[in-house]
Amino acid sequence: MTGRPGWYEWQGMTDNKYNWRIICVVALVMLAQVGLGSRLVFLHMGENEIYRERVARKRKLEQDILVGRGRILDRNGETLAMDLAVKDVCADPAVITENGHVRFIAEHLARLLSLDSLWVASRLNRPHRRFEFIKRFVPLDTVEDVAALKLPGVFFLDSSQRNYPHAGMMGHVVGFSNLEGVGSAGIEQKFNKYLKGTPGLRISELDGRRHEIYARRSLDIPAQEGSDVYLTLDMMIQYFTEQALLKAVEEHHARGAWAIVQRVRTGEILAMASLPNYNLNEYRTSTPEQRRNRAIAYNYEPGSTFKVAVIAAGLDAGVTTPDKIYDCENGYWMYKGRPLRDYHAYDQLNVADILKKSSNIGTAKIALELGNDRLMWYLKEFGVGQLTGVDLPGEETGILNPLQRWSSISPTRIAMGHEVALTALQMVNMVSSIANRGFLMKPRVVKRIVNTQGHIVYESEPEVLARPIRAETADTMIRLMARVTEEGGTGRRAALDDYKVGGKTGSAQKPVPGGYSDSAHMASFVGFLPADNPEICIVVVVDEPQPLHTGGVVAAPVFREIAEPTARYLAASPDGWGGHETLDIAELSEEGAAL
Amino acid sequence: MINWTGLRQTYQRLDWWMVASMLFLMTAGVLFIYSACYRDDGLPVAGFYKKQMVWCALGLVLFVIVVALDYRRLGRNAVWLYALCLLLLVLVLLVGKKVYGAYRWLSLFGIQVQPSEFAKLGTIIVLARFLSQPARNMRHMDSLVKALLITACPFLLIIAQPDLGTAVVLAPVTVGMLFVAGTPLRTILLLLLIGGVLMIPVGYFGLSDYQKERIMVFIDPGRDPLDAGWNKIQSEIAVGSGGFTGKGYLKGTQNVLGFLPRTVAPTDFIYSVIAEEMGFVGGITVMGGFMVLLTACIHAAIRAADRFGRLMVVGIAIMLFCHIFVNIAMTIGLMPITGLPLPLISYGGSFMVSIMLSLGVVQSVYVRRYRR
Repeated sequence: MTGRPGWYEWQGMTDNKYNWRIICVVALVMLAQVGLGSRLVFLHMGENEIYRERVARKRKLEQDILVGRGRILDRNGETLAMDLAVKDVCADPAVITENGHVRFIAEHLARLLSLDSLWVASRLNRPHRRFEFIKRFVPLDTVEDVAALKLPGVFFLDSSQRNYPHAGMMGHVVGFSNLEGVGSAGIEQKFNKYLKGTPGLRISELDGRRHEIYARRSLDIPAQEGSDVYLTLDMMIQYFTEQALLKAVEEHHARGAWAIVQRVRTGEILAMASLPNYNLNEYRTSTPEQRRNRAIAYNYEPGSTFKVAVIAAGLDAGVTTPDKIYDCENGYWMYKGRPLRDYHAYDQLNVADILKKSSNIGTAKIALELGNDRLMWYLKEFGVGQLTGVDLPGEETGILNPLQRWSSISPTRIAMGHEVALTALQMVNMVSSIANRGFLMKPRVVKRIVNTQGHIVYESEPEVLARPIRAETADTMIRLMARVTEEGGTGRRAALDDYKVGGKTGSAQKPVPGGYSDSAHMASFVGFLPADNPEICIVVVVDEPQPLHTGGVVAAPVFREIAEPTARYLAASPDGWGGHETLDIAELSEEGAAL
Repeated sequence: MINWTGLRQTYQRLDWWMVASMLFLMTAGVLFIYSACYRDDGLPVAGFYKKQMVWCALGLVLFVIVVALDYRRLGRNAVWLYALCLLLLVLVLLVGKKVYGAYRWLSLFGIQVQPSEFAKLGTIIVLARFLSQPARNMRHMDSLVKALLITACPFLLIIAQPDLGTAVVLAPVTVGMLFVAGTPLRTILLLLLIGGVLMIPVGYFGLSDYQKERIMVFIDPGRDPLDAGWNKIQSEIAVGSGGFTGKGYLKGTQNVLGFLPRTVAPTDFIYSVIAEEMGFVGGITVMGGFMVLLTACIHAAIRAADRFGRLMVVGIAIMLFCHIFVNIAMTIGLMPITGLPLPLISYGGSFMVSIMLSLGVVQSVYVRRYRR
């Protein structure tokens, strides 16, 4: 290396003189490294567990996958209950207060959501909260308006709201589900399991951007959307029924009225209505009295309509025949020290006329001939005092006192429908069994349940509960009951122009403490048509009609108002009177013989 | 004519400890950049390890060339080198490319270059030359002031980008070189004191909000666990959850799952990736690699044939140490988060090349240790 001597060749004594300085630097470096090393030891060995847990916690994902609730539809697919997509408007008060936007946001939200701005401000003015509902179940178009303002700290959660397009119609059957989506009445409650579906559950892990890592999904139960429930009820027949009841309540100043239309061959309920009723969409403002489905949850003393059970029993047991004549004591009979009266006085009546004229004394004598044990047996077979097992919540059992609590005059009182209580459903079911050759069918309101894939997950079948009377007795009873609506019968106001109607009126005084009320009555009519080949059975009960109060005057016309359009409607329907479910009578008879 | 015998002798005198630790750290770098990026989530990071291999190769070639060059030539041309560095630093401010809010990149012939990385080396060389001049007496105030001025120019230009981390590295480098050059201890202490006092207003007015927030977060990480505190907490969790032997290569969840943001995992937070996947063993091994590297540098400094070489090597050693210490301390929660990459391991072309050039200079000094 040549060239001029450079600055770099200047070294002299410096090297050794300044060595301690290098050692200082080395020592500093070493010290720093030891510092790092010890921190590493702490991080890796010491607090390790805490960090591992924090990692696991940060990454864990446990997610319920929410599903929509199924619909409720009538037998023809008319929607009665459905979910509407809505959103909850929520706010993060911490963010809003920090930015000082409380008043501004409160005013906007109050304006768009029709709320009180002071109230909104009070919800927003909570600096320590991160979440607050401002308004739940807001329709999507309103949500769009709010979202367009891009208010900081205001956000939306997907939600759904139960909607009942027909408001109060068929309300007692459909029922309602509460804000949490739990069915709380009617079908909504009874079939909640099917309607609500199965929320899915997903356990998985998240990445740093809070996205799920599909490969690390450890559990994934897919959500099953709620299934649709198809009722046996028919919107049209329900409409006829509700209209007739409304008219009756108004006309007779009644406290309430209820009616059931049942298909006698299969036990399907075609209509079930109860007044007073309520709008399902506003169930929160309804009263318990409005929500009560009286058709299945009101025990009433049926009065004369009950005579059909006693006379049917007498005929079936062979203690009497339609032509057998009884002395009706001119309307006043002293039995065991207690008087028994008829509404109209008769001298001699045969069994057919006892039913047609509704003689208390005549029926009482038949009951006495039958004897307590056999009467009890038949009533039980007719389902009196027992749940019918209808697929609705809140059914009442009715009241049938056990034999040991019967007094000596009990059979004479039961014969005229006192000292015994039924629900309208039990009554219609009992008369249906007479119209159905003696087969007591299980009443049902749900036809089938279909899941979102279109598979039928549940389908109800006709089910025989009992066979209280033989087919011949049933045929006889049908003939006898058909006479009731003829001229001179109590139920002539139930007669139709085109169809022969069989039925029975009932006018019972309501029981009050210490006896029976003189002014409060239950007017009812139960009947079936066409009488020569019964297909449908209808019960109508009117609670405390004023001032007219007999079943023949008050309830029989309601029956006709329901039955007439219903008969026309069914006769014109493609399925025909009996619906598409056909029952093999031979098979039924075999079953019946076994019962 | 190439002097083949001399060249052979030159390479025979290489410090093989340093070469070995260098290669080890480079390999670790490529492996863990791959681990940090193979799940790319749509970011263009998956190919980073390939690019890093290219940078490593380029760095090795430059290393070999620089070793063969006599470092004294650097000394002679130090002024030009310094001028070039300043020019580039000015250019980057004028025509640089903005990345994450800072002008740090310069496009030279289609290659993105970070001039500040090279400016550090340039400053060290020129400072070493200045401090090793025969007439220089560090007891005189004018020498001290001039030395500080030499550092101040690149320092301020880098701060202007702004790249606080890189700029701040120059401070200990300068102080260390001044110290080794024989500046009296009390002058050094006075310097540190003045620096400390100056830090307060600078820290208060000069730092931008995000920088202040980082420092606040360092003091209280729970302050903002989702934003500024996120990287720190996640990095600590990553390192801590590694345990003794780690979760295994490519199995680090913090990193793989993107808790360590994908943008910083291969660069500033590469050490936490290593510590998570290789655990304490891996972390300590990498640190050991750096210790060997630093020891080799110090050894070269002690054995340097002249004052210029020694000061240069000391400057480079301190620079390396600053990067290593600050980076590791930051990943394990001992220091506020500053964007200082880890030498030889972090992803980055300019940084890799500048470090390899620096190590080349160190070895250039070392292989000429017998020359007098």
